[in-house]
Amino acid sequence: MMNKEQKQTIQGRRIALLLPVLLIFCILGGVVYTVSAKIQREMSASAVSNLTESLDLIKGTIEAVLGKEAEFQKMIARELSVIDDPDTFIRTYNRNRTMVRLSLVPEGETEGVSNVGEVFSARELDFSAGKTVADLPVSQSYVNSMGTWAYTIQCPVEKDGREIATFYAEYAYTSFEETLPGRFYNNNALLYIMDTSSQRLVLNPRGIGERDAGHVNLEDFYRANRIMAPEIQEEVARNIREGKNVLFYHDIRNKDSLIFMWAVNDGSLYLIGHVPVEAVQQEGRTVNQNILLVVAVMLLAFGFCCVLYFGNERQQGRIRREREREREIHSRQLAEALQAAQVANTSKTMFLSNMSHDIRTPMNAILGFTTLLARDADNPVKVREYTKKITASGQHLLSLINDVLDVSKIESGKVVLTIGEFSLSSMIASVDAIIRPMARARGQSFEVTVTGVKHEELVGDETRLNQILINLLSNSVKYTQEGGRIWLRIIGLEQRSRQYEHIRIEVEDNGYGMTPEYLKVIFDAFTRAENSTTNKVQGTGLGMAITKNIVELMGGTITVTSQVGEGSLFRVELELRTADGKAREQFWKDHGVSRILAVDDDQDILESIRMLMENTGVRVDTCTGGEEAADMVRTAVSAEDGYDAVLLDLEMPKTGGIETARQIRPMLPEHVPILILTACDWDGLEDTASHVGINGFLSKPFFVSAFKEKILEVQAEAGREEPAGEAGDGSLEGCRFLVAEDNEINAEILSELLDLEGASCEILENGKLVLDRFAQGQPGEFDAILMDVQMPVMNGYEAARAIRSLDREDAGTIPIIAMTANAFAEDVKDAMDAGMNAHVSKPIDMALLKQTVRKYL
Amino acid sequence: MWKTKATKGMLAAVLAAALAVTLTSCEKKNSSQINLAMEEEVPERVVLLFVPMEKSNPDDENAARTAHDKTVAMAEERLGVTVEYRTYTAENYQERTYDEVLVDRARNNMDDFYLMNPDSIQLLGAEGKLADLSGLDVVENLRDVVKVANTVNGKLVAIPQEVVAYGLFVNKDMFDKYQLALPETPEELLECCRVFKENGIETPIGANRWWLENFVFAIGFADLYNGNNTEAEIQAINSGEAKLSDYMRPGFEFLQELIDKGYIDAETAYVSEAIEGEGPDFLAQKTPIVMAYWGAANADTAYGKADFNMQVIGFPSSRGQMPVVPITGFGVSAEAEHLDDTLKVLEVLLSDEALQIYTETNKVISPSKNIQVDCIDALKPLNDRVNEGVYVLGSNASLKVEQWSNVCLVVRELLAGATVDECMARFDQLQEESLEK
Repeated sequence: MMNKEQKQTIQGRRIALLLPVLLIFCILGGVVYTVSAKIQREMSASAVSNLTESLDLIKGTIEAVLGKEAEFQKMIARELSVIDDPDTFIRTYNRNRTMVRLSLVPEGETEGVSNVGEVFSARELDFSAGKTVADLPVSQSYVNSMGTWAYTIQCPVEKDGREIATFYAEYAYTSFEETLPGRFYNNNALLYIMDTSSQRLVLNPRGIGERDAGHVNLEDFYRANRIMAPEIQEEVARNIREGKNVLFYHDIRNKDSLIFMWAVNDGSLYLIGHVPVEAVQQEGRTVNQNILLVVAVMLLAFGFCCVLYFGNERQQGRIRREREREREIHSRQLAEALQAAQVANTSKTMFLSNMSHDIRTPMNAILGFTTLLARDADNPVKVREYTKKITASGQHLLSLINDVLDVSKIESGKVVLTIGEFSLSSMIASVDAIIRPMARARGQSFEVTVTGVKHEELVGDETRLNQILINLLSNSVKYTQEGGRIWLRIIGLEQRSRQYEHIRIEVEDNGYGMTPEYLKVIFDAFTRAENSTTNKVQGTGLGMAITKNIVELMGGTITVTSQVGEGSLFRVELELRTADGKAREQFWKDHGVSRILAVDDDQDILESIRMLMENTGVRVDTCTGGEEAADMVRTAVSAEDGYDAVLLDLEMPKTGGIETARQIRPMLPEHVPILILTACDWDGLEDTASHVGINGFLSKPFFVSAFKEKILEVQAEAGREEPAGEAGDGSLEGCRFLVAEDNEINAEILSELLDLEGASCEILENGKLVLDRFAQGQPGEFDAILMDVQMPVMNGYEAARAIRSLDREDAGTIPIIAMTANAFAEDVKDAMDAGMNAHVSKPIDMALLKQTVRKYL
Repeated sequence: MWKTKATKGMLAAVLAAALAVTLTSCEKKNSSQINLAMEEEVPERVVLLFVPMEKSNPDDENAARTAHDKTVAMAEERLGVTVEYRTYTAENYQERTYDEVLVDRARNNMDDFYLMNPDSIQLLGAEGKLADLSGLDVVENLRDVVKVANTVNGKLVAIPQEVVAYGLFVNKDMFDKYQLALPETPEELLECCRVFKENGIETPIGANRWWLENFVFAIGFADLYNGNNTEAEIQAINSGEAKLSDYMRPGFEFLQELIDKGYIDAETAYVSEAIEGEGPDFLAQKTPIVMAYWGAANADTAYGKADFNMQVIGFPSSRGQMPVVPITGFGVSAEAEHLDDTLKVLEVLLSDEALQIYTETNKVISPSKNIQVDCIDALKPLNDRVNEGVYVLGSNASLKVEQWSNVCLVVRELLAGATVDECMARFDQLQEESLEK
């Protein structure tokens, strides 16, 4: 984990990075703002200038029109001065929309003629404002006879330097529509012409929207555009009085606008109107928008870079943290490994010490007894006693070595389970056969119970299961005081799959128990509980490690609970595949057993029997007392649906098994077996039992396989002579072996043992010699080859292969038996692969050797 | 580094977009066009419309104008023409009126079409200055009253977007306060005015120089338009068999009484523009009675937001409350420069679709018999009478003597001090002049 200081450092770095970034941003923002404002100002100034130019242009145009009109009028006046009948000229002049009315008033008169046919009076017109165009007086604006705003220019008609008449021409303001710009700021601007003296708006813009703009007079214009501040109105009025231009900013319908009032013709007319600032500053706005766009893109790009940078930073940080974490894990693992190595070293040192002790003890016995043997060689009684003790010590040494090898194999992952069908009963029987004498020797009671197991025939590695049970039980025996109690419980648990039997094996004792500290390491190799009470116990300290490994190899679990002085409880849970049940069913049909009666005062036992017999096709009736049993037998016989076998508990209240058998035997046919089921020893009862018609004994717990065997046995006894035992010892008398053995002592022992059996052998030191000897020998000279494996020059496997490949008739047929200290299953397989026929492990068990040899001879 | 494919994809998209933007901006070159002068635009198709316009008040929305503008916008969009407005508004009563300027403009063919008051319709129609609109498709939708009122010499010379009905706008709260029933007859109105006057209301009836004539129409023509002999009576007036002054006299005498008793301030009325003069006092509840047109009662217009219970009733007459309906309308210059486009514009402006929009926006009586719109509560008394067919026309082109303008002018003379007899003599003169034509 990152500590606080590191975090602060990283934060500090980030802040240090962030500050210049912020500074850059501030500078950038300031620059952009300044540039933008500068552009805005410049564009505003430019826009004002532009608007001014536009208005000046319009003003110039209007003044030019006015000037042309004045010139035209002067020209007509000159014409009038020279023609004979000016009145007719006027009357006949066609009016048009621009020049509506021409009138002529002779000098000295107030009325005259006009081209509209009416009498014209100059009094109708107001020239009092004193405005002129090209020195010609211009009237105040008025609505003329065509209903349009108009003005009249007055022009004297002079002849010979004397004014003979006044010529008036009326012009409509609508004529200016042609000269005014069609699109003033893209129709965003409004433009009126105002008659200054009357302040009437004499030419209005056209179109729907313009109707809101104030169309009557200046006051209406002010009101419509909410230009109501007196100071503005006064300022405007003063400028108008002085004939000056006015331009100012004002809000028009929520738009910042420029209001203009532009004097035309020395202020006799005014161009007034307004234009939104945004219409004037369109370019400036566009430029600013573009600047903002560029800035935004830059910001985005910068932001993107920041994201990339910080993303990378975070990633680096994460990688750094992960590495630190890994380093920490490695360090911890290294420390743990070191500790483990130290513990292992300590354990091994201790183990070696124990081994040394454990090996030396039987070795001491062996060597001691051999010394005694040498001394007392002439005393056969002592010789037998010594050899017996030497053998026992040898056996112990062998088991020690086997355990060490097992652990070594398990730890290197080389253990392979040998899967096969087996019977739970036979397994328990074999375990019972081993443990019960041990327990009995220590005065301990040993109780075996089986409950809830549905399938007795299972598939698994029976040998390893035996090993587990024996390890656990022998430990219990060892670590339980004399006279203590030991229980073995096989409990069938709820099946998770119909094809698997889920069983729990419990081994419990009321022995010394274990300390909590020891419980933590009980399954570790090279550990052994030691205290003043138990240090008398011999062991390798490997048993529990082996047990746990095997259980786990089988996919099971092992747990232990224990309290010092109260005992221990080991629980092993396993799931073992069930064997095919059809064969079982067939057995009962073949042997004519379809209905049995089981009698026991213990309901659990009856239930167990029912459950175990469930898939056999045999109907199981049960009862808990002898009298009831007798009744049931009677009933069954009378119904001609009699029992094919009867199981009786030996000890039952009221009527015991013997008595019950006595009662029911007469009712049953002779071939129907009555078997006593008991947990007790039946030595001494056999005669009584036989007398009352009991056919045999079955030991509790009830097992189907044991029951079957007993049925077979009983039926065989009843009907047939027992066949001669095939599995006789098989004498080696007269056999001749070729032996490969590099160890002289082993060679001598073998030679002696074979000699004892009446066989002879030729022993050679390595495979090569054996190969040569065999190659040179006559066919049939040797009955078999006993081949050690590990030998100098040529090992056993090579030699076997070479022999098999020899070009002689018996090369392929002569039995080659591996006889080696390499005792694992793989070693057996290697031997087979090398072409050997069988494998017998050292130390040599002569019985096994004989059996094996006889198999191939 | 990046957790998901989506994030990677998004990154790739952003980069691709940035690249595309960069490339696009690089790619764009200056226009290859050498001549940068802009083409002269195709001349717009325009039609010129002369319409009245009140002085600006930026705080008011004119519903009628809004409604009209909507239909104009529809026409512009449909036809691709621009309707150009021209207007004239008198600064004061001394200046030439809108109607006078309109007549001048129409006579000089200054515009394509006009929004005209009844007198202008009759005058210009009689002069042959207005085109015959009876050929428009929309004519078949029109109510008969519209066609009757605007037919001059057999020509339909104008068609309105709304049928304007004039009525008395009364402050019902004030009537209730003095336990007065709304007047049905001239006598009842006089009684109401008496009570108001006695209770300190100086001028019970707010008036202007335009609309007092409605009293005259209501009182004078109630029987003519609501009897069974309308056409014969009109014919008798046109032929001179019946004197127009006989119809006018009761109304004028009634007005004279109102003036004499101080129920109307004649001097003020004489110089007051419509609504400008009397409106503020009415809204301030100083005056219980004014007269105005239908649309003035709608929201966002002159009297649309009164703070009291306002009711719009007909003018008092012998036949009870009487709405006065002067038919206005759009007339087209017979020699309009853009005659075809103008007629097309009118087809759109007066179509049922446009009138539906207009009527809904302005909450008025539509000239189309196909369109009915609910009116606001205040107008219900007036609307009920119109729907019953009880009303008098304020203008009727079939009467040779133009009424809407003439009666207005003569009422002004009464306001200025002329006697009723002098006023009647004026009508006799007008009738004689009409007989001479």
